[in-house]
Amino acid sequence: MFCSAIRNILRNSQNAAKNAAITSQIRNLRGQQSAHHEVEMLTSTGITHKQNDKKTEPAESEGSQEVALDFRNREAHVPSFNLAAYVNNSSTLQQFISLGVDLHSIERRKGLGDFVLKLDFEKNVKPYITFLVDQGVSPDDFGRMFTKNPLLFKEDLDDLQTRVEYLKSKRFSDEARQRILTQNPYWLMFSTRRVDRRLGYFQKEFKLSGHDLRLLATREPNAITYNMEHLRKSVFTLKEEMGFNAKDLSALVVRKPRLLMIPPDDLVERFSYIHQDMGLPHAQIVQCPELLASREFRLRERHEFLKLLGRAQYDPQKDLYISPKTIVEGNNFYFVRNVAKSDLETFDLFLKTR
Amino acid sequence: MALTKVYDAATVFKHMNGILNVYKPAGMKVKHVRNAILSNICKGLNEMDQREPRKLQENIRLLGTGTAADHVLHNIAEQTDISDHLLSTGPRYLPRDLICTTVSSLGDHTSGVLLFGINRGAGQSTSIRKNRPVRVYHLIGHLGIATENNLPDSRVTMRSNQRHVSADRISSLAASMQASHQRKMFELCGVDLQTQEAYELACRGLLRPADDSQPVVYGIKLIHFDRPHFTLELHAINETQEYLATLVHDMALDLRTVAHCSQLRCVRHAHFDVTDSLLRHAWHLPGIIKNLRQQRDILRAHPQLLRQQRVELQATE
Repeated sequence: MFCSAIRNILRNSQNAAKNAAITSQIRNLRGQQSAHHEVEMLTSTGITHKQNDKKTEPAESEGSQEVALDFRNREAHVPSFNLAAYVNNSSTLQQFISLGVDLHSIERRKGLGDFVLKLDFEKNVKPYITFLVDQGVSPDDFGRMFTKNPLLFKEDLDDLQTRVEYLKSKRFSDEARQRILTQNPYWLMFSTRRVDRRLGYFQKEFKLSGHDLRLLATREPNAITYNMEHLRKSVFTLKEEMGFNAKDLSALVVRKPRLLMIPPDDLVERFSYIHQDMGLPHAQIVQCPELLASREFRLRERHEFLKLLGRAQYDPQKDLYISPKTIVEGNNFYFVRNVAKSDLETFDLFLKTR
Repeated sequence: MALTKVYDAATVFKHMNGILNVYKPAGMKVKHVRNAILSNICKGLNEMDQREPRKLQENIRLLGTGTAADHVLHNIAEQTDISDHLLSTGPRYLPRDLICTTVSSLGDHTSGVLLFGINRGAGQSTSIRKNRPVRVYHLIGHLGIATENNLPDSRVTMRSNQRHVSADRISSLAASMQASHQRKMFELCGVDLQTQEAYELACRGLLRPADDSQPVVYGIKLIHFDRPHFTLELHAINETQEYLATLVHDMALDLRTVAHCSQLRCVRHAHFDVTDSLLRHAWHLPGIIKNLRQQRDILRAHPQLLRQQRVELQATE
């Protein structure tokens, strides 16, 4: 049995060698053929029958080549770990790449690779692109949007139209709708009823007017479709743990909706530093919610540097007032030059004593 | 060697070898520092010029409809292998492509010099670690308050009066502790301090432990006193954060009060000083490359950091 296996292998290798010889021959022939064409241009039609001979020959050998190279066709159906293996053979994936869709990050998420591979560009993708263009989404954003949410192609186009109509009925302006669709590719996945419930929750929880709610949804469209559990936790943290009253809370949320998406533990840590170490009252924190959105180490570094220089004076009633908002603005160079009025070397030296 | 501007990621990656000196902020784990550094390196590399996608092999067979509108045919004409495009393969450089080893770790609350060996610097980092160089710490103790693990973030266990403590008393205690540590080392070697043998041993340089099991202190000095805070400068090998914090606590007990360690800062590790170390806002690719170059100069100026005569490494046990 072993011997027969070896014989098979040998036979295969011989075949392969033969085929290799044939393919090289074909190449030679093709080369000659093209040469003949050139000759033909110059001379008359004297050698046409010769050419015909040669044409039949490659046809035969090409058949054998197809048998030998058959595995290439099969290769396209071999299971693969990534989408890159299929890109050369799929016009849909190539279209996606020309749109700027990051196939690599799609295939890392479970099930999405399979889904994207089965799409047909003309049938499944094009109508959605026309739909999005109709909504005023810029073509530059398609890549990012489809990378984030390829499952958009699974939704029914009529549903999408209904969801956009819903936004229109809630008097979201054209720019607002465009921003919502671009910033949050998941928005359109939510049914009208679900979005309505979410918007209702926000309006009720923070006692927002229609205008404020639209402002919030446009500013941070991701907050509306965020994990409900997380949102409830954040609201609890802001309200009960930090003690903002209802009016402050709504002002805070409308100005900086991103606060709702920050992990509550981080938020408490930042708040306790701002409130206890920097000594800012609630009213002043509501005035500049950027403070809560900045990481704690950044606040600490900058506040302690100002304290060292004797410039940490956040009371607007007194001299040498420094607005807390300017502390978290800009990079370190901007802060050191414009807020602390010092130089970067001093700041670096200071940081190396921390 | 003249410096030239490089725009090619591959060139940068090829030359990214050596020791990196990072300023570790307090309250950040070494693991997190390492991850931040590696991801910043990769981010920088991926933003630079990348190689173009490969060319397709000739006479490759592709599946396609074969009509004029078929993109497959167009791409064959261009002969680029789209499966090698950045969008299908993902970023060219990933954190796991880099080798990164720590020379010796710092505790969570410790800030200061942290050395990494990047790529081919991993070998250098091992030899530096094996040589067991001295690390210099600045410890800030807080008198009058004792905590559970002697670090500032835990529960307060005891308070006491500290009015009787003066700078003189702390420095005299520090001097006597230093002397007893030095004597202990010679005793562990089995030589009497008052002999010729001990003198010759001392002449050959620092007496170092053979393995990294036991912390050894070479010098303690009071450098600043501002009640209730006092700052100690401490030279040690094989120390840990817990050991240093306990040392501060024990010193305070000798001074008939209690204390905890409010700040630990490593200011020097062998010849790698805190002044050259890379601060958090400079953890980007250009900064890292510049720092690697500086540390290479230091290594060149002090070759004994990598190759040391083993005779000096005496066993203490």
